[in-house]
Amino acid sequence: MSESSREFSGKTIDEAIAKGLAELGLPREAVNIETVREGSRGLLGLGGEDAAVRLTPLALPAEEMKDSRSSAQEILETLLGGMGIKAGVQVVDDPAPESPNAFVLNIVGDDLGVLIGRRGETLRDLEYITRLMVAQKLGKPARLVVDVEGYRTRRERVLCELAKRMAERVEASRQPITLEAMPPNERRIIHLTLRDHPNVRTNSIGEGEHRRVMILHK
Amino acid sequence: MDLPGLVEYIAKSLVEDPSQVQVETVESANSITLELHVAQNDMGRVIGKSGRIANAIRTLVRVAALREGKRVNLEIV
Repeated sequence: MSESSREFSGKTIDEAIAKGLAELGLPREAVNIETVREGSRGLLGLGGEDAAVRLTPLALPAEEMKDSRSSAQEILETLLGGMGIKAGVQVVDDPAPESPNAFVLNIVGDDLGVLIGRRGETLRDLEYITRLMVAQKLGKPARLVVDVEGYRTRRERVLCELAKRMAERVEASRQPITLEAMPPNERRIIHLTLRDHPNVRTNSIGEGEHRRVMILHK
Repeated sequence: MDLPGLVEYIAKSLVEDPSQVQVETVESANSITLELHVAQNDMGRVIGKSGRIANAIRTLVRVAALREGKRVNLEIV
């Protein structure tokens, strides 16, 4: 028996269930119902016994999570099909610890560079549209990442290493270094990588497409 | 390649009133123009702040049209 289950009683089983659902604020399909006591009318209205049921809320969050994942996967697959891209979509947990319920839709197939585009711009737009479509379908914001053949994961590693290498150079020369222009998510990786660095700090300069991260000696 | 079908699928998944979504195709020798119609109330859902959604849809349509070797314009009217 789950610790979240509760007992409710009423004159009949139906009444007990209705009372319980009202109190828990859940629809009938969201709970498991066990009969504890059938109840009896008694003789001449005397000695009657109430019916009792035990209601256990089903693990909705897990259900819901599975639901949003499979809807998201289906939407992205249909979208790619409509774009004439032959590829599969894998659903994996988002490895980032700050987003426990988030997930990654990883597109796998051959020759998918066209989905990444220059500096990952196509991938960013694909993710944006997928998120909006999934959010509209589920009626709530979708915490998902779209990736192509692990491109983002690889790119993240490359950027982390670049940040550390450049930080070392700045430490040695005490001269600031400006990196090439990057989209916001990539600049963020550089800032986060060097956030706790003892001797350098980071800054962003330029506007829009040309915004670049600068690494300076403290 | 069914470009109007792609635009229709995306638009219908973004709006509140999918029954009002219509895509018309105007084809010329080297370009295709897709005109997307949605309910007045749904315009913002396919255009977005400073056209961000519209531009993202254009990106996807462009990828889909690569093999056609034609230019594709998407207009939201």
